[in-house]
Amino acid sequence: MNKMFAIIKREYLQAVRKKMFIFMTLFFPVLMAGLFIVPTLVVAKGMGGKKVAVIDGTGALRGSFSHRIEPEVPDPKKALSGQNKGELPQSLDVEYVDANRQPRLDAATRPYLDRLYLDKDSGNRLDAVLLIPSNAFAGSDAKMTYYSRSSADLISLERLGSIANRAVQRQRLAARGIDPAVVDTLTREIPIDSVQLSRSGQQKKGNEANFIIGFIFAGLLIIPSFIYGLETMRGIVQEKSERIVEVLISSMSPRQLLTGKILGVAAVGLTQVTVWLTIIAAAGSFGAASAMMAGFDISQFLRPMVFVYFALFFLLGYLTFVCIYAIAGAACNTDKEAQQLVAPIQMVMMLPWFVMFAIITNPDSSFAVALSLAPVYGPITMFVRTLVSEPPAWHIVVSIGVSIATIAAFFYVTAKIFRVGILSYGKRPTIPELWRWIKVA
Amino acid sequence: MSVVLSVRDVVKTFGAVRAVDGISFTVQKGTITGLLGRNGAGKTTTIRMITGVFFPDSGSIEWLGSERDARDRIGYLPEERGLYRQMKVKEHLLFLAEIKGRRGTSVVQAAERWLKRFELWDKRDAKVEELSKGNQQKVQLIGTLLHDPDLIILDEPQSGLDPVNMLLVRNLLRELKEEGRTILLSTHMMAEAERMADEIILVHKGKVVLAGALDTVRDSFGKNTLHIDYEGDGSFLEALPQVRRATIVNNAAELSLVEGADPQRILEATMGRLRIRRFELAAPSLEEIFIEQVGAETMESIR
Repeated sequence: MNKMFAIIKREYLQAVRKKMFIFMTLFFPVLMAGLFIVPTLVVAKGMGGKKVAVIDGTGALRGSFSHRIEPEVPDPKKALSGQNKGELPQSLDVEYVDANRQPRLDAATRPYLDRLYLDKDSGNRLDAVLLIPSNAFAGSDAKMTYYSRSSADLISLERLGSIANRAVQRQRLAARGIDPAVVDTLTREIPIDSVQLSRSGQQKKGNEANFIIGFIFAGLLIIPSFIYGLETMRGIVQEKSERIVEVLISSMSPRQLLTGKILGVAAVGLTQVTVWLTIIAAAGSFGAASAMMAGFDISQFLRPMVFVYFALFFLLGYLTFVCIYAIAGAACNTDKEAQQLVAPIQMVMMLPWFVMFAIITNPDSSFAVALSLAPVYGPITMFVRTLVSEPPAWHIVVSIGVSIATIAAFFYVTAKIFRVGILSYGKRPTIPELWRWIKVA
Repeated sequence: MSVVLSVRDVVKTFGAVRAVDGISFTVQKGTITGLLGRNGAGKTTTIRMITGVFFPDSGSIEWLGSERDARDRIGYLPEERGLYRQMKVKEHLLFLAEIKGRRGTSVVQAAERWLKRFELWDKRDAKVEELSKGNQQKVQLIGTLLHDPDLIILDEPQSGLDPVNMLLVRNLLRELKEEGRTILLSTHMMAEAERMADEIILVHKGKVVLAGALDTVRDSFGKNTLHIDYEGDGSFLEALPQVRRATIVNNAAELSLVEGADPQRILEATMGRLRIRRFELAAPSLEEIFIEQVGAETMESIR
């Protein structure tokens, strides 16, 4: 027992003193948050003003385009929750061209299209040109055309198109003698508020923010498992290649050694999680208000149960992964070999991450439920389900049970392979050889 | 004298290779026993079985009278360096003691004492990887001794050491022996074993080919070895009819004589050709015995 403690202590101290640990512990949550929030804000806010020419063949839509179109509320919260679909996400500087009297619309358009490729600094360069045909009001096959340098400028396209359409509709209605004020009332869109209703009747709001926070938590849950799993694997390979293992095994049983190592690594993980949860809680209580301002109602994610589940599923997922990496480490003699062995397994283990979108948007689908009850995938999937939905208690219990059984089975196999593999020097074993080791050891 | 370690009919195979093929020997308390043999003879495998790193396929190993409990009373210096490179020297030593079940102030003090003695005190907080190879070897040696073991197993302890440090280790081993500790010393350096060992076990191709007290072993080979130091070209000595085998290095020859040969005839043959500075009939050196035992076929393959 004392010997095992010596191993735990060594593993722990060596790991937490590394710069990697300090970096991961202090900056990783920030990094993860940044990774998801910043791009969203960037997309929502737009990259700055754009200059657009609207060639109006009808000559009747000046009213809708004659002023610089400013987003009504440049608020990322609204942008994120999709409440300002009718507005422009970025300020569009619109150059309105009345082309009603032009005999040939395409000839009139040509000079504006040329301006798409003017020198950036000339001040005359256009980012897009929207062409509204002269038969827009009556023609059943009327089509608007949007020219831009980038085919993927979907947001500008969508918003500009919707403004043009509204203007056209308004004109059609006005032509039938309906007062424009009445038209506005009739065509007003009703915004949708998304509310998640929990079993206890509690209401949560959040929409896209939920989605982002789900991803952040999933990242916090899964990425350290890979990083420390790899560290454990390297550690074992190193002990073998530098023959430290001979001294260790001559002093204790392989099982003691392995248990000590895994508990040591687990303690490292727990330390990390504790620090993270403390940071998140502190940031939550101090920063909830400012987060709210930035568009996130994070208070619903600061429930005690989220913390409990996070710590629990973190530990379960972490130990599962560490065991898998320990097997690779015990079976191989060099980092490179171990990496090769583990790379395909790693892809398989990453599955929940690749389907995270589906899990978060549809946490109670049979796919998500199956994944959350499966070995290896269970911890991360189950945690995300508890975060964005309210799975039945028995799902959670079964998931935890399956995870514990998985870890126990992996540990058993690891210990066997450890016993044989740790001292067999030479080439990397094949899968049948590994299987034989498990049986003989 | 009591038996500290007894190895009986131990066999270990790796695939088709019988690395250890029925080795038996005992180690007496308070002695230095040399486990000798060429590289690959089975020494390290035997030691790994003694230290519990490998299980023997068959046979038994008893330490200090009991099967397993004695593990913490053994100090083991593996053949290759086995230290965590990232750990600090003193911290590492305390870790090595701790996995042998020893901790606390007495161990800390002992570690400090050893560090000073081995001139590593200034390096106590340096990382192992910052140390020279020789210094790492010294750290490993301290780690082997720090928990105050009764049986010390050293696999090639002097590899990588300079002559000064070799002397340091040699003196240390004598001292440990005087304290009543038992030492099993594996080496392929015959001269070193000859200086240190009370008992020898000669292993070849997984088998013990010769064992016993060093003096007895040497005496059993009789005084039929001629040591000659000279000036001049002594290469003709090898071809003399009385000489069975010759080892000639610089201006010294060790001639193993055929049975019944008269050394006087050899002395006569050197007259006028060499200037003799030493001419001595003695027991063969361990190296001679080794070559004798390992057999001509091995020697042929070298040539």
